[in-house]
Amino acid sequence: MPVQLTSKLYDVDDFAAAQEFYHANGWTDGLPVVPPTPAAVEACLDWALMPPDQLIGIEPVRSQPITAEKLAINAVMAGCLPMHFPIVATAWQALMKEEFLLHGVTSSTGGAALLVIINGPIRLEIGASSTFNALANSDRATAAIGRAMRLALINLLDARPGGIDRSTLGHPGKFSYCVAEDEEDTAWQPLSVARGIPEGVSAVTVMGAMAPRQIMNEWTKDPREILETFAAEMRANQRHYSIYGGNYAIVIPKQLREPIQDAGWTKRDIAEFIHERARIRRAEWAEVGKGAVVRDRGETVHTALESPDHLLVIAAGGPAGGFGAVIAPWFGSKTKAVTAAIGACVDCEPPKR
Amino acid sequence: MILRVLDPTNERKAAGGEPAPRPASLKGKTIGFISNGKEGTAGFFAHLDRMLRDEFGVADVVFRRKANYSAPAAAAIVDEIKNWQAVVTGVGD
Repeated sequence: MPVQLTSKLYDVDDFAAAQEFYHANGWTDGLPVVPPTPAAVEACLDWALMPPDQLIGIEPVRSQPITAEKLAINAVMAGCLPMHFPIVATAWQALMKEEFLLHGVTSSTGGAALLVIINGPIRLEIGASSTFNALANSDRATAAIGRAMRLALINLLDARPGGIDRSTLGHPGKFSYCVAEDEEDTAWQPLSVARGIPEGVSAVTVMGAMAPRQIMNEWTKDPREILETFAAEMRANQRHYSIYGGNYAIVIPKQLREPIQDAGWTKRDIAEFIHERARIRRAEWAEVGKGAVVRDRGETVHTALESPDHLLVIAAGGPAGGFGAVIAPWFGSKTKAVTAAIGACVDCEPPKR
Repeated sequence: MILRVLDPTNERKAAGGEPAPRPASLKGKTIGFISNGKEGTAGFFAHLDRMLRDEFGVADVVFRRKANYSAPAAAAIVDEIKNWQAVVTGVGD
């Protein structure tokens, strides 16, 4: 039986009229969008072998169902090619898990974005780049996939500024925040494998994430000294933003990874070191103007990671430069990072039209 | 050339309840407060408690605090709502 798109159709005069129409309805992030024609949307669904009414998930707080068709419309608008769509769909499945607390991440005054981390062979198929400018406009695929996440939040869950989205400031990652791990130029296990996905399987990890805090240390090859700089930035975040532990990510570029790898350190060793070093006493809040909430708990020690397992270590970045990044979670462990394998339906036929 | 484009919004509305009928008066009623637990809410709810009792003749105010200010209220709190005639909840910082 043919499967039809069911979304409302509009006729617009041309490309420019489409832009004005979408902006006027509040359906954009402020940038131009690719007009989502039925042909473009069907191409995404065909690529992912998904019928339009396939349920990607139900947003748990507001019980809002998200279908493949609606997600594909937003992916097309963001500039996604059909081959990008399975990543968008899987990332959405992941962020609708209860432990991600999407409603909190989206609506909080805290200003978090959705960070998407891609692992596995699909990175190479879509031409994602993990080197120069890895956290920014490194390539078409990660730019469009990250943008699709936000556009879908705006249009499918009404996460418009001043509406559901109550962010005081937000940050630029709310336009697009997606990175592919550099699995070719590292000896380390991919993030997805460290989080339980079989080797060789493509996967995404989603995280309610603050802006990247860059660090620099080009003056040592001692793993402890390099990682101490990352830990110090995490302590700074605990002092200045949120003291509570959660899923922090650290991004380690080639120049900093090589001495750590050469010394025989695994990602697990890194996580254990950071877990020990990234912690502060509550009394330190008094040094940064937050004395009012220290109360009688000044000697309480707050760890940035509740356990070493909570650190997401990502290999990415250009070939030169001792610049890494710490990406803090949105308010400690209220949100948990979620990793999901990108499904391949080996027995499925594309839906007939 | 006409371009035919699709609606990107969730046209299918979430399953949700209808708002309860508004009480005509608060006199003699029991009012529930569900606080998100943030620092700044304490003064607000204390003031509202006094105002409801003194100016509106409310019989009782029940105060409940969410364990996680960014998540929905726990089921135990939601279960209690049926015992109240009105609820005050919302975002406070």
